[in-house]
Amino acid sequence: MRIFAVGNSFYGDDGVGAAVLDRIREADIFPGACLFDAHTDALALLDRFTPGETNIIVDAADMGLEPGAVAAFRPAEVDMKIRSDHLSMHGFGLGETFAMAARLGSMPEDVLIVGVQPAQMEINTGLSEPVAAAIPQVLSLIEAEATE
Amino acid sequence: MSRNLDINVKHLTRVEGHGNIVVNMKEGTLEKAELQIVEAPRYFEAMLKGRSFHEAAIITSRICGICSLGHQLCSLKATEQALGLEVSEQTKLLRTLLTHGATLQSNVLHAYFLAAPDLLDVGSVFPLVESHPDVVVRALRMKRLANDIGDVVSGRAVHPITPVPGGFTRIPTEKELLELKRRLVEEMVPDFLATVETMQALAGKIPDFTRDTEYISLRADDCYALYDGDICSSDTGRVADSEYRAMTNEFIVPHSTSKHCKVNRSSYMVGALARWNNNHDKLNDVALDAAEKLGLKPNCINPYMNTIAQVVEAGYCALDSVAIIDKLLSDGLKNELPNQEPTRFGTGIGSVEVPRGILYHEYTYDRQARITAANCIIPTGQNLGNIDDDMKKLVPEIVEKSKEEITLTLEMLVRAYDPCISCSVHMLDVDFIE
Repeated sequence: MRIFAVGNSFYGDDGVGAAVLDRIREADIFPGACLFDAHTDALALLDRFTPGETNIIVDAADMGLEPGAVAAFRPAEVDMKIRSDHLSMHGFGLGETFAMAARLGSMPEDVLIVGVQPAQMEINTGLSEPVAAAIPQVLSLIEAEATE
Repeated sequence: MSRNLDINVKHLTRVEGHGNIVVNMKEGTLEKAELQIVEAPRYFEAMLKGRSFHEAAIITSRICGICSLGHQLCSLKATEQALGLEVSEQTKLLRTLLTHGATLQSNVLHAYFLAAPDLLDVGSVFPLVESHPDVVVRALRMKRLANDIGDVVSGRAVHPITPVPGGFTRIPTEKELLELKRRLVEEMVPDFLATVETMQALAGKIPDFTRDTEYISLRADDCYALYDGDICSSDTGRVADSEYRAMTNEFIVPHSTSKHCKVNRSSYMVGALARWNNNHDKLNDVALDAAEKLGLKPNCINPYMNTIAQVVEAGYCALDSVAIIDKLLSDGLKNELPNQEPTRFGTGIGSVEVPRGILYHEYTYDRQARITAANCIIPTGQNLGNIDDDMKKLVPEIVEKSKEEITLTLEMLVRAYDPCISCSVHMLDVDFIE
């Protein structure tokens, strides 16, 4: 199993993926799982998706839900917004990465995204209360996927 | 032509008021031509104040995943100068190798994913994935190998962890370096030569726009300066990096929350084109040959050619990485421990060339080796005034084109600088399919 985090941990709830990886490491919850924090370079995942393995991505996601709400979904189940008018390489996120992987045929079959609805994305604030409280639910969704 | 023009391109709506191109012309008179974009990492000082010298580089490397390595190395240099920590020749070589990997990766991605779609007039890289999959796969292959340089030397590509104040916590093995060298020679060099061919086919489509400006970069005696050097202005020559405040002169402008910079003129340019103009005599043959093929000449004053300068640098970095590995191996790898015994406590300045231009960190430490003051000046902030000045000259020259063409030409200009949206978040934006 591979567990990836995407997001900038300096920007409040955008750091939820990194916080989940920290929790997994501290408590050694999924021994043997490969953990990787792509931070804001989502394209780095292209090299790390592994066919034949479970690839789980934890990211802050604007899903139109209550802050702290958690949802697990497959890429095909959602419409991920991609921007095509980038001014900078800094704008390439997970949506763009999936679009590229899909078109190149390098998208592994087994990808699960665990999205957490953020409450705030301000700099230097740490996780908000509802998002911090959502981490156990993220872990149980990963657990469920792992034992499936 | 007496024309009214009102262009307002909002690119980064999540960061309100940032990343906008604003052009306003009334009856043929240009009233406004500006790029409004992000500031240097805000609260930089607050993030670092009170932190120990072990933590500074770790924190700053996390400001931005794309510019992670540049911030980390710049931070280490500032800390080492402030605390009087000498580093070994091997450390400098390994850090230069890291810099080459990061430059290679960023330059290649910028050329293929941002510039090429403009030159092919396809809007974004996504149509290229279908029309030219081999080219996109090549770009990703180059990115991966460039990443792997980081993995081998620093333990991890995105957030390097083994580089610490005073050196490295782990030295790569001879076997790892030999394998890296093999891949650079057998994979990266052919991919680079193919890249030059691809770009050669597109270079003719680069807008023909020139504006003389001041170019500022690092410069060193013995190499194409990326990791270390003096600050060099194309107008006034070299000064030590202790003069960085005089060589940036940050000031506030009303239209942007980000500070602008100027030295000898109203603005200056940093980045690959500045480095090329100041240091082309230090490039290796592969890079110079690429420059010739791509029509990049010394003292180039077309900012759109920044992309071509990035491609040229990629060739330099690939071949110089091989040279560095050869030197490391012929000198013999030493399992040295990082030098972490401060000999003084004061202020130190770090300067490195990151892909987008010269980056500065400055820290002051107290006697407990904790930071009491910190400052950071990023390349994009330095380029903002230059982009505005480019737009002010460019818009009247292309005013007879359609609004769409003008907008695209301005977007291409901004993209040529590959601005760092350092404060951006990368939240996924999704709608569930019902």
